[in-house]
Amino acid sequence: MSLEIKVPTVGESITEVTIAQWFKKEGDAVDLDEIICELESDKATFELNAEAAGVLHIKAQEGDTLEIGATICEIDTDQAISNTEKPTPMTESKKPSTTGEIKEMIVPTVGESITEVTISSWLKADGDFVELDEIIAEIDSDKATFELPAEANGILRIVAQEDETIEIGASICKIEVMEVAPSAPETPAPAVAEATNTIAAVESTYATGHASPAAAKILAEKGIDPSQVKGSGVDGRISKEDAEKAQKAAPKAAAPSKQEATTAPIIPGSRNDRREKMSSLRKTVAKRLVSVKNETAMLTTFNEVNMKPIMDLRKKYKEKFKEKYEVGLGFMSFFTKAVSMAAQEWPSVNARIDGNEIVYNDFVDVSIAVSAPKGLVVPVIRNAESMTFEQVEREVVRLATKARNNKLTIEEMTGGTFTLTNGGIFGSMLSTPIINAPQSAILGMHNIVERPMAVNGEVQILPIMYLALSYDHRIVDGRESVSFLVRVKELLEDPTRLLLGI
Amino acid sequence: MKYDVTVIGSGPGGYVAAIRCAQLGLKTAIIEKYSTLGGTCLNVGCIPSKALLDSSHHYHDAESTFKEHGIELDNLKVNLKQMIDRKAGVVADNVAGISFLMKKNKIDVLHGIGSFIDKNNIKITDSEGKETQVESDKVIIATGSKPASLPFIKIDKKRVITSTEALELKEIPKHMIVIGGGVIGMELGSVYARLGAEVSVVEYMDSLIPTMDGTMGKELKKSLKKLGFNYYLGHKVTGVSSTAKTVTVKAENKKGELVEIKGDYCLVSIGRKPFTDGLGLENIGVKTDERGRIEVNEKLETSIQGIYGIGDVIKGAMLAHKAEEEGMFIAESIMGQKPHINYNLIPGVVYTWPEVAAVGFTEEQLKEQGRAYKKGAFPFKASGRARASMDMDGQVKVLADQDTDEILGVHIIGPRAADMIAEAVVAMEYRASAEDIARMSHAHPTYTEALKEACLAATDNRSIHV
Repeated sequence: MSLEIKVPTVGESITEVTIAQWFKKEGDAVDLDEIICELESDKATFELNAEAAGVLHIKAQEGDTLEIGATICEIDTDQAISNTEKPTPMTESKKPSTTGEIKEMIVPTVGESITEVTISSWLKADGDFVELDEIIAEIDSDKATFELPAEANGILRIVAQEDETIEIGASICKIEVMEVAPSAPETPAPAVAEATNTIAAVESTYATGHASPAAAKILAEKGIDPSQVKGSGVDGRISKEDAEKAQKAAPKAAAPSKQEATTAPIIPGSRNDRREKMSSLRKTVAKRLVSVKNETAMLTTFNEVNMKPIMDLRKKYKEKFKEKYEVGLGFMSFFTKAVSMAAQEWPSVNARIDGNEIVYNDFVDVSIAVSAPKGLVVPVIRNAESMTFEQVEREVVRLATKARNNKLTIEEMTGGTFTLTNGGIFGSMLSTPIINAPQSAILGMHNIVERPMAVNGEVQILPIMYLALSYDHRIVDGRESVSFLVRVKELLEDPTRLLLGI
Repeated sequence: MKYDVTVIGSGPGGYVAAIRCAQLGLKTAIIEKYSTLGGTCLNVGCIPSKALLDSSHHYHDAESTFKEHGIELDNLKVNLKQMIDRKAGVVADNVAGISFLMKKNKIDVLHGIGSFIDKNNIKITDSEGKETQVESDKVIIATGSKPASLPFIKIDKKRVITSTEALELKEIPKHMIVIGGGVIGMELGSVYARLGAEVSVVEYMDSLIPTMDGTMGKELKKSLKKLGFNYYLGHKVTGVSSTAKTVTVKAENKKGELVEIKGDYCLVSIGRKPFTDGLGLENIGVKTDERGRIEVNEKLETSIQGIYGIGDVIKGAMLAHKAEEEGMFIAESIMGQKPHINYNLIPGVVYTWPEVAAVGFTEEQLKEQGRAYKKGAFPFKASGRARASMDMDGQVKVLADQDTDEILGVHIIGPRAADMIAEAVVAMEYRASAEDIARMSHAHPTYTEALKEACLAATDNRSIHV
């Protein structure tokens, strides 16, 4: 069936209007109540809403002047529209005026080396009203996650879908700019497609959006807020069927969905597998690690460290340190200081290859590998060689917290001349870490285990940590790498040396 | 044996939890201290008391209304032994039904006292002292409650009794003194009052069933007065003494005057207390509150992960149907489902005659909240159905929000109130307005029309039949 939309009566003295702008193109799918064009009269500008859902056939072009009652367009209601991209019918009769301006938002330049990003999740649904600077989406690059703030007030029209990878400068979304917020925000309608033409006139009451007992349970299990569901029951109550048909408006990122997976009933003997798209971060990590394996001459040297002296020292000063600096005295400060000192004595370990040249650094920027919710990240402690223990501890806490909250900036992860990685926190006793390119060495820390050691001809049980130094043999020779590691061992086993620099 | 879930206690909370767990595919065991399943509710609570209430109601009707109905009887008399035996038969059939349900759902029934060794291991000591042990991933504590008493009252179970003994009396008391004007006292007091006993109620508060809406207590007091109830409201019991054949209850009124009441039986029905004896909660560190209730969070999980509590042993109304909802809730929660319980919409029922039933807020609660409400009431006197059956005591009271007309509370005292309250629960779960019910067709003639009429009154003060 085809529905003709005519120029409505807009005021007593107004006899004709001009089509100022079409927001939709010929053949576009439109939704009930969606704004499809802007009309101008000699007194005011107003918007025309679609009177049905369907496919638009334009009869009057922009600039045409029409009399009241003349046909503007036709909507072919027979042609079903995909309901995935379906924005919601607006229920309120009054609407704030759009300015007609459409703000196109593009992928911003986020870092020098970043050429593409992935839409990690939309926090707002298509058709939602968004406010200027409100966070509307999360974007993953291969280095970090960004939040995308809205660049205007208005109705969001999503261009790039979730999980889509787009280039810098490409269009993410459009905002139909509005001057003020609508009195009631548009709610995304996950429910019933066919019901759109019957529920338009529902007035909201205290019971609107109240979920029946069975519906409430279903929504809770799907993790959908009842306020996001359009109820088809009396006064907009949410029925069991509404809840069953409801789909999550803006699925959150990987973390919550994973949680749901684990709480789902486990059926014994089931053999399901699950496919998940690799995030940009994961893809980049994968690509890099393989290229390091292929393009460097990497090998690993090992040593063991008696941790007793450091543990004793920590035990003795832990409280005082905490009292004075309000940060705990951990192992990271000892290791960071030890490798900084050793790296300055064996500069090739702290160097990198750039074409046909070797770049030596007179500073030590220590990257620390942190396991973040989205994967491995390596924030950098800069000028570690000139930092105090307290400064190192503080910086470690700051960076690790940011990493866990996905708040690290690109800046904080760029650079680094040497990397520390601690598999010990997960229980690793020994491993061969992979170099963090373009650096030339990485030190693997492990868990502390009690081992019988021969000390002055007697067996003693001592807390031991195995250390592994992977290095790029292209620029670091055996003598340097082994000496570096022995030096680290000396400094850790007798931390007084750190103080004296001997 | 290793189970996914073990339920301790087979009352209505415990056995429902076990069945729901089994339905969801969990390997389930249930531990019961007594030889029969069903807990207090089936053995010494809801079911046997209803059996005696129905028997005594028939007798009382025969005695007081049959003549007017045109039925004349000679030599009407009570056979108390037969009444108690019939009650025992009802109980036996019901508990056998639970055993059948356990078998049908492949739930292992373990008889004995369950006691925690650690959070996953439970020792079961049977009546002969034999010990067995089960391992369980999750445990649901559903050990219920037992009658509470006052420190200075010695329950001798002969003259000074609790509800349990009151269901097994060998004679009809001449004068039964009921301490506590709550649900249990009113129900069992009614049983013996109908059979001819004089009943005196001593209650500390100023009204009967004091936790319910004030109108209910007032109306019930009037109705039971007709049965021969005496009231000592606002009286604080200070002592109970008994001889082989008599009991004396001493109480103090508000003015501090001492009152002495003499009778032959004293029913102590001041409430119930959670029962956790022998569970070995201390072995695993499950916390209880100052009233001995097991502390649970909103997921009904105790302070120990994987151990849950339901029913009378945790906070909330001590009602079988509340325990059942909680049993379902935990079973489904364990499977990762997200059920809900709307505690405000758990109905409360008193099986006196007239019956009392209520759901939602009382008028007193709404006043305290400062909420603007309107009220509609309809007396059963004006109901054709009630007139036909000669059950004209009581009324329906509907409380609705002043602005939105949403029903906030429904309080019924009248014939079959316990069955009628279900309509109010359904309506309120859907947040119906008083006018919604007023606009739904109610079959004529039924008692439920009184609810519709009260809703009409609440909507716009437009009852048809008053």
